[in-house]
Amino acid sequence: MRYRIAHTTAYRYSEPASLSQNELFLSPRITATQEVLQSRLAITPEPQYLHRRTDYFGNLAHVFMVQQPHHELTMTATSLVQTTPPDPPPGITPPWETVAQRLARREHPPELEACQFVFASPLVTVSAGARAYAQPSFPPGTPVLAGAVALMGRIFREFKYDKTATTVDTCVDQLLADRKGVCQDFAHLAISCMRSLGLAARYVSGYLETQPPPGKAKLIGADASHAWIALYVPDFGWVDLDPTNNLPAGERHITLAWGRDYGDVTPVKGVVMGGGVHTLTVRVDVTAETTRLDPL
Amino acid sequence: MNDIHQPGPIRPRPAPASLFNAADFPEHAFREAFDAGGSPRGHWQPVTAALEAIAPEELNQRQERVRRMRHEDGATFNPFDDPSGRGTPWALEMIPLPIPAGEWAEVETGLVQRALLLERILADVYGPQNLLKEGLLPAELVYANPNFLHACHGIVPAGKRFLTYYAADLYRGSDGRFQVLRDYGANPAGLGYALENRIVLSRVFSELYHQTQIRRLAPFFQTLHRSLIQRASLRHQDPGIVLLSPGPESRIYFEHALLSRYLGYPLVEGEDLTVRNGQVFLKKLAGLEPVEAIVRHIADGASDPFALRREAAGGVAGLIQAFREQRVEIVNPIGSGFVDTPVLPLFLPELCRRLTGEALRLESHPGWWCGREDERRHVLANPGQMRIGPAMARTGAAPQLHDLTAAMAAAPHLFMARPPVAPATVPAWDQGRVRPRYALLRVFACATEQGFAVMPGGLAITAADVATVTGETPELQRSKDIWVLSDQPVEPFSLMSGLRTVAEFRRGSDLPSRVADHLLWLGRYLERAEGLVRLLRSLFRRLAGEAGLADIPELAYLLDILRAENAIPPAPADAAGPPRYRELTTQLKAALFQKERPETVVAILKRVQEAARNVRDRLSLDAWRAINHLDGFADNQTGDPLELLNDTLFTLSAFSGLAMESMTRGLGWRFMDMGRRVERALNQTALIRIGLIPLCAESRGALEALLEVSDSIMTYRARYRTSFQLAPILDLLLLDESNPKSLAFQLSQLSAHVEHLPRPGDRRFATPEERMTLEMLTAVRLLDLTGLRCDEGGEKSTSLAAFLHTMENRLKAFAQQITAHYLSRVLSTPHFSAIRGTPEP
Repeated sequence: MRYRIAHTTAYRYSEPASLSQNELFLSPRITATQEVLQSRLAITPEPQYLHRRTDYFGNLAHVFMVQQPHHELTMTATSLVQTTPPDPPPGITPPWETVAQRLARREHPPELEACQFVFASPLVTVSAGARAYAQPSFPPGTPVLAGAVALMGRIFREFKYDKTATTVDTCVDQLLADRKGVCQDFAHLAISCMRSLGLAARYVSGYLETQPPPGKAKLIGADASHAWIALYVPDFGWVDLDPTNNLPAGERHITLAWGRDYGDVTPVKGVVMGGGVHTLTVRVDVTAETTRLDPL
Repeated sequence: MNDIHQPGPIRPRPAPASLFNAADFPEHAFREAFDAGGSPRGHWQPVTAALEAIAPEELNQRQERVRRMRHEDGATFNPFDDPSGRGTPWALEMIPLPIPAGEWAEVETGLVQRALLLERILADVYGPQNLLKEGLLPAELVYANPNFLHACHGIVPAGKRFLTYYAADLYRGSDGRFQVLRDYGANPAGLGYALENRIVLSRVFSELYHQTQIRRLAPFFQTLHRSLIQRASLRHQDPGIVLLSPGPESRIYFEHALLSRYLGYPLVEGEDLTVRNGQVFLKKLAGLEPVEAIVRHIADGASDPFALRREAAGGVAGLIQAFREQRVEIVNPIGSGFVDTPVLPLFLPELCRRLTGEALRLESHPGWWCGREDERRHVLANPGQMRIGPAMARTGAAPQLHDLTAAMAAAPHLFMARPPVAPATVPAWDQGRVRPRYALLRVFACATEQGFAVMPGGLAITAADVATVTGETPELQRSKDIWVLSDQPVEPFSLMSGLRTVAEFRRGSDLPSRVADHLLWLGRYLERAEGLVRLLRSLFRRLAGEAGLADIPELAYLLDILRAENAIPPAPADAAGPPRYRELTTQLKAALFQKERPETVVAILKRVQEAARNVRDRLSLDAWRAINHLDGFADNQTGDPLELLNDTLFTLSAFSGLAMESMTRGLGWRFMDMGRRVERALNQTALIRIGLIPLCAESRGALEALLEVSDSIMTYRARYRTSFQLAPILDLLLLDESNPKSLAFQLSQLSAHVEHLPRPGDRRFATPEERMTLEMLTAVRLLDLTGLRCDEGGEKSTSLAAFLHTMENRLKAFAQQITAHYLSRVLSTPHFSAIRGTPEP
């Protein structure tokens, strides 16, 4: 599918802000199933300093600074991407214990590479609680992907989607106690569970094209940033799973960046000096391009 | 019973026992001072002989002198600094630890090799990561190690060196060989204490010091400074180097202040720095000044709240971006805390062989890493013989034994075990005799063009038991100076010459806004404290007299002032006549001692001390002593309040005098004096405004009280010798520019100060501050007091009231203008986009 994405983040300040620094992970990554045809970043006021780099995980990051007094700061990332369905994973995957052992031995470069997503990270603790929660989905000998899909289904059923329940800092043990959160929390929980078993799981930040309810027109601006996970399956690669929606991530999932957890790939983070009271508006539009672009 | 002394049988006096008895020193540990036979080792003999030639009482006095010198230099906490009652970090004990030249040469070569090896590892881990790919470093050391900072991967430091400053804790095992217990990369501590110890000891044992060939420390500091300049291609004159400290709350802040003074690098805190266009600047009164190199004394994780931990206080937002852009050289490069990883030393022998083809010269203390199955099994099978601790992060509580099995099963790679350390013992002076103490040697190295230079000396850390000496609580440890002996005559190299050549770097001309802000408030709080003390003194003096409360007509006036200052609660609405004596004394006592209320004497004194502490490196030692003296105030609640107030006023005056006298007439002094002037002008204006009704009624008591609390009664008497009259009093307190307590005097001082403040661009145009002081001064000069008689219709007093009211507003506006223009410390707020996502409908 071809998607046009417009993601606008706007801050309005009650008093002039004198200096604003931001780091953005808003440019889609090129992946095996995703081509990036266009990617633009527009910032007003014009930043005096803009720096672009590829981070440790291969994501594209922008750092910018606005250094004159400003009352408003608007960042708009627009992109055009072409997604293709991922290869279907093998019907039978190795037992999860075998996968954990291979990751512990890490004899081959892809396993060593995957290994960085096996350990606890700043926002994903790996506790006994997470392991206890994961266990019922992973009886001995369970194929790793089957276990992950079962776990995803349980998170989907046993946790309530609640925008007011959590903050960006909510920890996994808190989630397990409260049983509610948003997609970022479900992703962190799923990752924590997998890692507690010695599996490699990473956090994926991106968008999902939402389908309007049958018979209703799609609302502009109704989309949002999304997050899901990817599980490492040896000899195959990474399989993306969306615990918020209990489905494998597919053509409608648009990948921005991945890392160990939300902290590595926060779409917009920054520090502002002054500015008084802030109001934030975020607007995301994901539109499927139905008309083909004319070939030149 | 008779008390006549009967001389006992005369016993032969035993020969004076040697101070140094090998038998006192346990045999299981290496004895630094003695050989296997128990005789002093050769290189100790000058030290033991010198000490034994001194009478024990004299030695006690010397140790006391050492303590006092350390205290006077500010190396100890005073009780105010230290509400939690922490002790002094690394208190200095006087017996030095000599190391012979040959033994030191081995340490030196070993340290240089180790520093170079660690640097190569850092360069690889933050670069191509070949060690990881080849399996020479287990993946856990990078991927599960909080000391590895992802944000710093790919960064090549501006000076192209990944490790520029390195420290290690060495101990000498029972076989006499030196071994490394810990490595420090991020921000090693102790260099300043080593320097201070040397300064103190070379004075206390000056003869011994100069007769023995001891290698000097000063050349190391010169090397450190020159290498930094050369590496970062800085200007030789006025290089933009700063020393970044977490501030006075750091328990080793003394060290930061000392190194700053010694190296001549301005001492700054995170909020003094800002990043613009990927470059670091120091916020000074005159504007932003580029910073080209930072010697940091803050931890890796606290260095940048933007790129790293957002809760990190004390860091500089954007610092890593400037580091990434090679716009600033940082000592040490951020991320070098990787070197501190406790388990890393276990891999060094193999890494050293593979990377350099040599064997590792300085062995590390052995250990077993639980991330490897065979080693974990060994650890679990022999729990009694080793201590289990964290393998990745050095800090953090050691897990309790019952949690350990579970924690180790879940994440074995986070644990390691080490056999007990058996450090050598050294002789230490303790309560009148020499006793054995365990010792570690903290030694330092800095990067040079050729590799690394090791400081010939260091900090010997000592304690009576092994757990304390190997622990991480400097307050429980003591320290010694390490004397590295030389085979050749040492060049006379004064420590102080280092101070002269590079110190006083751009001080005086300009200063960080934060420092100016603290000085301004120090001036204001001092004046506020003095005013309140004077006022309370007047009250207590009257209460101590014979008269009943009803016979003190000015009592109401004085109490009104106290109420206006919020020092006592407002009068009840139905109050008629003077308050009851009992109630009044309770309120006044509260105005002295109640800590919870912000406007009491004890609370304001505390603010004086806090402001002073923040500018500690700019106050003279004498001034600092006066500040410490204020501690006694709260302890004196039962004594005579009048005496206490007199005493406090004396101390405050002493401090003001000492602080002002010892400051150069630069901007720092101007800001402190401006604070004082603004506060005094506000106070003087308010005193008259509050008492306008009794004053205009020419109440003798009120007029006298006003002169008294304005500290102008002597001047008035000398000048007028008449009864108290309103007009001459107002003339003296408002208009007389020769009276240092008058409003006009404060304003003329302020206007002189603002002329000297830094200004952008053209001097021909007046700054807003200049206009404001001129307006106020003109208003005072034009105030017409002739024939001012309040009983003639009261119109004049109305206009006087209006004048005073306007003046107070203008003074407040002026104070705000100064703050907004020069001292603006804007709060920064982090923001993060949350990812809510949307479940499918």
